[in-house]
Amino acid sequence: MALAPTAERSNRRWAPVLAGLCALLLLAATAEIVLDGAVGHSPLIPKSPNIAGWLGGIGERLGYRVFLVALLSFSAAYVGLLALTGRAWLKQLSPRWAIGLVVALHAIVFAGPILLSTDVFSYIAYARMGVEHGLNPYVHGPISIVGDPVYHYVGSSWKHVPTAYGPLYTLLSYPLAPLGLTGALWGMKVVALLASAGTLVLTWRCARARQFDPVFALLAVGANPLYVIYGLGGAHNDLVMTFLMMAAVALMLTGRSSSGRETGAGATVMAAALVKATGVVLLPFMVISRRRLAPIVGAASAALGGALAAYVAFGVHGVDIVAALNRDAALVSTDSFPTEVAHLFGKPGVFPIDHTLLKGVLAAILLYLMWLTWRGYDWVAASGWALLAIAVTSTWLLAWYTLWSLPLAVVTRDRRLLWTTLAVQGLFILHQTSPLFVQVQ
Amino acid sequence: MSQRRLIEVTVLVLVGVLLALATVNDVIRQSHTNQRLVVDLDTWRAYTGHVYHNLTIEQDLKGSGSTREVICGNTSPGAPKTRPQLCLVMRGPVVHGRRTVYGGYYLPPHTLYDVSSARYACFGPAKSQGLCEHGV
Repeated sequence: MALAPTAERSNRRWAPVLAGLCALLLLAATAEIVLDGAVGHSPLIPKSPNIAGWLGGIGERLGYRVFLVALLSFSAAYVGLLALTGRAWLKQLSPRWAIGLVVALHAIVFAGPILLSTDVFSYIAYARMGVEHGLNPYVHGPISIVGDPVYHYVGSSWKHVPTAYGPLYTLLSYPLAPLGLTGALWGMKVVALLASAGTLVLTWRCARARQFDPVFALLAVGANPLYVIYGLGGAHNDLVMTFLMMAAVALMLTGRSSSGRETGAGATVMAAALVKATGVVLLPFMVISRRRLAPIVGAASAALGGALAAYVAFGVHGVDIVAALNRDAALVSTDSFPTEVAHLFGKPGVFPIDHTLLKGVLAAILLYLMWLTWRGYDWVAASGWALLAIAVTSTWLLAWYTLWSLPLAVVTRDRRLLWTTLAVQGLFILHQTSPLFVQVQ
Repeated sequence: MSQRRLIEVTVLVLVGVLLALATVNDVIRQSHTNQRLVVDLDTWRAYTGHVYHNLTIEQDLKGSGSTREVICGNTSPGAPKTRPQLCLVMRGPVVHGRRTVYGGYYLPPHTLYDVSSARYACFGPAKSQGLCEHGV
């Protein structure tokens, strides 16, 4: 429905002011988390070398309440910003303004400590095991390098666990190992920052190629609370996988369609899978959509090259991704939706039979999406739904898993994917809020 | 809206409602658990007379209705787990801001894992339940 001229004039006047307020709130919430996090001694900040000590004198120790209030404020401002940007009367929002906001958010998080996860120390430990200690990270866990400085920072649940990441990521992390712990940590932060920047650039390009508002796409991904605070804040390698996924999508969506680009896209999807196995999900949808040999040839070549490199570097264990996936599929986290549903029905948690049922549900969803893609449904949207389905049906859900589908969702015509992804993220955030009501101390 | 799209939206809404209900239920459940854990810590402090903050809580995850928790803390001032630990087993409802202690046991300093082989000097019902027996 068209707005009355007076209302439209009023909206045009107020919308930029409201957008500015939302942006300020995003920056303030991020700065609060980072500055308080830099003080250390917080259950939300993993034990870490003091890389953000120079920020430590400004904030106070980060507690659950302050963190959750900041996260909820960030989320509210993000929703407000998206609502404003999505309106026709704010379409003229300056791209420079949006890029400046996303760059500022990234800069604040980059300058601060590692947030909310010890995963980055596992990445460094696996790299140092291979480079400094001559150990195979696909056979041994970080426990085998007890004397290494990184060992004390690895999460207690992961000390005995060999890496589950793809061989490409493990090999990419090797050059960081000789830099020492602090150097490697900054290296990981730079990798995450570059991967995020690359993802956002590609998201922008794909949105333009499909004639969507690139400003909206940029803000939806680059100012997303879980993306900024959890994904970038924890320097997670999911950002590297997402960057490669978006590179494959960009190859297919931008420029003239050619066998070369399709071969490259297939190879890039496989590269994403060689970083983190989940990335492979895009491949069947890409292949079904194009019904050409080129993506298969590209993916098969990359898989062959990757397997060969993995075998040379890590032996047969580096190639056996299925074993690592099976091991991880059995994990259970309290934040996963299956665990929550089990609690709703009075069960203490998920049982082995539930894992089987969930795998069946996921398989059915994937088959349905493949059938839809065969019938002409957008393969990018189908890939996004598949990634979201994996996150929702997984018994091991972490915040950054809900980011997988986000860049795909903003470059598809089926807006249901974006709203569903954001709803899933909203429920994830809601699930974190119990310390707001009663805090244990 | 095509029939297929209608079915898809309906399924999405139903799944969304289920997940929303499960999430809210979990937040409420976790809040109740947190409330109980706060009382556990208060009970440990009242029982021992030590106002220590670095206490460890181990929840019994066997059964969704289980309210059994074990709270451990130093017996004398010091960094966490650097002194002998006194562990109290607590169960049942919160009554007048306290929980019932069903005995307990001690752990030596620097014990990483609270396993029966590490425990000693079991007392109260914890002793009759064999919590300190090696191999349990």
